[in-house]
Amino acid sequence: MTGLLKTPLFDEHVKLGGKIVPFAGYELPVQYKNGALKEYTAVREGEAGIFDITHMGQVRVQGKDALDFLQYVTTNDVSKLVDGQVQYSALLNEQGTFIDDITTYKMDDENYYLCINAANRHKDVAHLRKEAENFDVQIHDDSDDTTLLALQGAKAQSLLQDLVGFDLEDIGYYKFARGQIGSAGGIVSRTGYTGEDGFEIYIPNSIAVEVWHALVEKGAVPIGLAARDMLRTEMGYALYGHEISDGVTPVEAKLMWITKLNKGDFIGKAAVEARKAEGAQKKLIALKLVGRGIPREHYPVFVDGELNGEITSGMHSPLAGGGVALAYVKPEHMTEGHLTVEIRGKQIEAERTKTPFVRSNVRK
Amino acid sequence: MSVPTDLRFTKEHEWVRIEGDTATFGVTDHAQEALGDIVFVELPEVGRSVDAGEAYGVVESVKAVSDVYAPVAGEVIEVNEALEGEPDLVNSDAYGTGWIIKVKISENNDSAELMNPDEYTEFLDD
Repeated sequence: MTGLLKTPLFDEHVKLGGKIVPFAGYELPVQYKNGALKEYTAVREGEAGIFDITHMGQVRVQGKDALDFLQYVTTNDVSKLVDGQVQYSALLNEQGTFIDDITTYKMDDENYYLCINAANRHKDVAHLRKEAENFDVQIHDDSDDTTLLALQGAKAQSLLQDLVGFDLEDIGYYKFARGQIGSAGGIVSRTGYTGEDGFEIYIPNSIAVEVWHALVEKGAVPIGLAARDMLRTEMGYALYGHEISDGVTPVEAKLMWITKLNKGDFIGKAAVEARKAEGAQKKLIALKLVGRGIPREHYPVFVDGELNGEITSGMHSPLAGGGVALAYVKPEHMTEGHLTVEIRGKQIEAERTKTPFVRSNVRK
Repeated sequence: MSVPTDLRFTKEHEWVRIEGDTATFGVTDHAQEALGDIVFVELPEVGRSVDAGEAYGVVESVKAVSDVYAPVAGEVIEVNEALEGEPDLVNSDAYGTGWIIKVKISENNDSAELMNPDEYTEFLDD
C-alpha cells in the first residue's frame, strides 16, 4: 500500500492482531483479533472501548476576528459557545452543500479549535485559509502533530481519571478541559460518536503510545473501524461521504438544527434559505427491516413498489434485533407510503422509525 | 485449525462432504476467519437445483457480503435453519454445526474442481 499514512499507534494495532485496511488515506485496523461484534459489545454493554481516530484533522483558528470568521464559515452559532464548550457544526460552500461536518472547540475569544474529517482535511484547510484572507485570523493545521483517541463506554471516566490532572466529573456533555494528560498536556472533551458516555482525547504524538498503553492496561478494549461504524450507525449519526456530502444541504440531511439562519450571514446561507423555501429534493429517514436481511449502503429503497431512493448507511443491529438503515427518499414519502428495500433483487419489507435506533447513554 | 480429512474443498474456500448420493456444503475455517463475524446467512429454497460453481446462498459479515458457491451440482434437500437464528455457527463450527445446505447429487455428477485435504492445505500455504 503506497502513499498511505500510519498513525503513531500503527505498531500497537498490528501487535494486537489488528486487520489493517486503507481508510481515509491511513492504514487503520478494521478490527482486532476478537472481531467487531465483541468490540461493539464491550462499548455497548458496560466496558469501555479505545479508538485510534488520529486520522481526523485538527485546525486552530487564532486571532482577533476568530469569532466573526467562524460565524461566517460555519453553520452553527459560535457566539453561543462559552470557553470550554464544544459545538457540532458544518462548513458549507456557496451552493449550501457540505464541505465537511466539524466540531468547534472554544478556548477563549481569540482561540478556537476545529476537529475535521480526515478525508476532507486538505480541502477544509485550503477553504479556511482562503476565507481567512478577509479576517484578522490565522489558520494552523495541527493534524500531523496531534493524536486523537476516543474512549467510549460506561467505564470511560473511571479508566481515564488516573491519567489526567483534572477532575473529569467537572466536564459536562460537549464540554472540554485542558491540562495534564500522562506525561504531557492535552485536551479532553466529553464527546464521541457512539451514543455512550465517553471522551475524546487530544494529545501530542510523543505520548500516543504511553497513553494508549495505560488505557489498554486498565482494561480499555481496542475498537476497529467496523465496530466504530456499527456504533455510529445505531445512533443515526451522519457520516461525511454517506449521509452528507457536497451533493446535499442541511435541509436534506436533517441538519437544520446546526444551521442557524438567524445568526447573520454565513457561507451557504442564501442557498440553504432558497432550498428551504423551494423544498428539499430528498429527505433522510430512518428505517428498520421487518423482513430478514441486512440493509447496506446504496441498496435501492422503494415506496409503493417504485424506486424512490437509496440507503446511505445500514447494518445488522444486535441490540435492535435486525436490519436498520438511514436512507434518502423523496420528501413526500418521509412519512407516507409502503416501504421496501431491494436486497439481491427481492423486495424486503421495512418500516419507518426514529433515531437513535437503540438507546443513547450519553450523559446530558 | 487442521483441515478435516473426510472433506473436499474448492478454491473459493467451500467444503463438501459426500456420503452416497448426498452432499453437505459449508465454508472453510479459513473462509470464516477471513470474513469475520457472520451476522446473516441467506439460504436457498429446498427443491432448488444448483449447478456446480453456482452461487446458492449468501453469507454476510459485519462489513462484507459474500456469495457461496456449490462444489457439486444437485437439488437442495435440506437447509441449516439454525443459521437463521445463529449465523455465527459458521464462525464457531465451520465444519460442523455451521454447515449450510445438503443436496441430492445430480446424476450428471457435475462438480467444481475439488481438492483433497492435503491439496487444500497446500493451496492455503501458497
